[in-house]
Amino acid sequence: MKTQLIQKYIQYTLDHNSTPQSVYLFAKHLDMVEQDFYNHFASLESLESHIYQNWFEATMEQCSQSEPWNSYSSREKVLSVFYTFIENLKSNRSFVQFLKQRDWKPSLQWPAYLKGLHQSFLSQIQPILSEGIATKEIEERKFIDSKYVEGLWLNFLFVLKFWIDDTSNAFEKTDAAIEKSVNLAMDLMGKSPLDAALDFGKFLFQNK
Amino acid sequence: MEQHSIPSTKVQRAMRFVKTGAQIGGNYIKHYSKKMVDPSTSKDQLHEDNATDVYNALSELKGSALKVAQMLSMEKNILPKQYTNKFQMAQYGAPPLSGPLIVQTFVKAFGKTPQQIFDTFEMKAANAASIGQVHKATLNGKELAVKIQYPGVADSIQSDLKIVKPIAFRLLDMNEKELDKYIKEVESKLLEETDYELEYKRSTEITLACQHIPDLVFTNYYKEFSAKRVLTMDWLSGLHLDDFLKTNPSQAIKNQIGQAMWDFYDMQVHTLKSVHADPHPGNFLMQADGKLGVIDFGCVKEIPADFYLYYFALLIPEVVQDDTTIQKIMLNQQIINNNDSAEEQQIITTAFVKMTNLLRAPFDVDVFDFGNNAYIHQIYALGEELSKIDALKKSKEGRGSQHALYINRTYFGLYSMLNVLQAQVKTGERNWKAPLIQFHLGN
Repeated sequence: MKTQLIQKYIQYTLDHNSTPQSVYLFAKHLDMVEQDFYNHFASLESLESHIYQNWFEATMEQCSQSEPWNSYSSREKVLSVFYTFIENLKSNRSFVQFLKQRDWKPSLQWPAYLKGLHQSFLSQIQPILSEGIATKEIEERKFIDSKYVEGLWLNFLFVLKFWIDDTSNAFEKTDAAIEKSVNLAMDLMGKSPLDAALDFGKFLFQNK
Repeated sequence: MEQHSIPSTKVQRAMRFVKTGAQIGGNYIKHYSKKMVDPSTSKDQLHEDNATDVYNALSELKGSALKVAQMLSMEKNILPKQYTNKFQMAQYGAPPLSGPLIVQTFVKAFGKTPQQIFDTFEMKAANAASIGQVHKATLNGKELAVKIQYPGVADSIQSDLKIVKPIAFRLLDMNEKELDKYIKEVESKLLEETDYELEYKRSTEITLACQHIPDLVFTNYYKEFSAKRVLTMDWLSGLHLDDFLKTNPSQAIKNQIGQAMWDFYDMQVHTLKSVHADPHPGNFLMQADGKLGVIDFGCVKEIPADFYLYYFALLIPEVVQDDTTIQKIMLNQQIINNNDSAEEQQIITTAFVKMTNLLRAPFDVDVFDFGNNAYIHQIYALGEELSKIDALKKSKEGRGSQHALYINRTYFGLYSMLNVLQAQVKTGERNWKAPLIQFHLGN
């Protein structure tokens, strides 16, 4: 039922070029009683926040069941999630654009309707990174490594925005953006010259 | 602006782009360090620095009929010996595609992953192509080669050329129309190379027309597994030129391969009027029994009928000896134009004819030994001589038709490869000359 409500919500928005003004009006449009709506969502805002979250969870499900998933490194898993998510988003591009236009102000890091997505992202990507730390693909760094996943979240927002504004054929540029940005992020998380520099700096500091 | 060499091999071009990449990186560092000190620094200087460097790289790819002289006059380090198989990757400086991106490309093109389409699919690339990479796959017991293109290549070509144009006009001191025709030619060819659907179409056409040539092997393409950025074909066995020579093939085998190569080009130029314009070692596979495999039809130049009639007439001694005809040809090919003084026309024509006579040598004998290094050196020497002629140096006009650009490159590549192969080739009398003689000299 939740999924159906979300579907109807998207359709309503696209048809009216505006989101429903109140739960009452939305319920009326669906020929349902307002209180039934509250059995599923506390408010329209809460429904909106579930939209991206549902898409993301479906993506994770799809990725983890794909054939090469288990043989992938952490880097490849992250790439795969990004690509699949954006690919799936295509069928809802108009809606995504509508939401961005409505309230993703340049000054705002990310709008409220991505809250649910943010939570899911953190909880589902973290295990992939932990796995990478265990296999030494990702460098363990005190105090910093717990922030890796937040870094990837910013990367994710960048890709999402990039795709929304992308006008290249078949969104080829978004593919390139994902490939390059995720590779950079993963390189930074891996062992890098930075570690040697920090180590050397520490040595100088302690021994001068 | 001075041009020392035209990078005509992919090694050269790759090196140019690597160098340009490094320079542009330097420009950014310069820009950002300036910005740290002075936050008002605008990006204009940066763009101009970049464009200048990109242009320097591109300007060496530009050319005209006379440029063939320079092309051939390149310093010794561009001698064909320097061909290597490592050239291809660096052109766009792209790192290998990640596994998920390969899957993504397939899903976009066919709605299925490579694992769902093929029986086996090696996620690790077998080798790099100029704008993509090649993977090995199997289906129903057949070995296949799957070429996958990097995303956004076409866009980056277009935007590179866009930055370059306005600056190039200023730098080259050539008028806009003159320069534009060369840039357009290069741009259209570069863009065509990114269209695998077009490559599929052309390869099937050329394959069909050249099937009867002895010792040539073509690969079979699979339309159902090909799209704009994916091209699937049978896996062709054989070695690239360098590796093939390491196996010490006999002179007879070398001649046989050289002959197949020569006949292949002869057929394309004079019969099909459409030619595989990128003859470098990466596009050919040589087999121990003297067979030559042809792969990669990304760059095909269609030869316009009018251009053909004049350009190839220069290879016929009777035509070149006739002063009126030669002047007509020089004007048609835009080597000289009506703004040149009579004296300039004379100097340029004499130099050009001298060069053509030398380049024509293989066509004048029955069997030509491309292994003859003295011949190649002679070409270099003449090229240098030509580049010192004042009338040419001072000229603000582009010299030569834009169509000559790729045809010259084709022949340069062909001569070079045959030289490395040290092949003796039957180049003698062919029946294509008759219609040209008829056209220019009548009866």
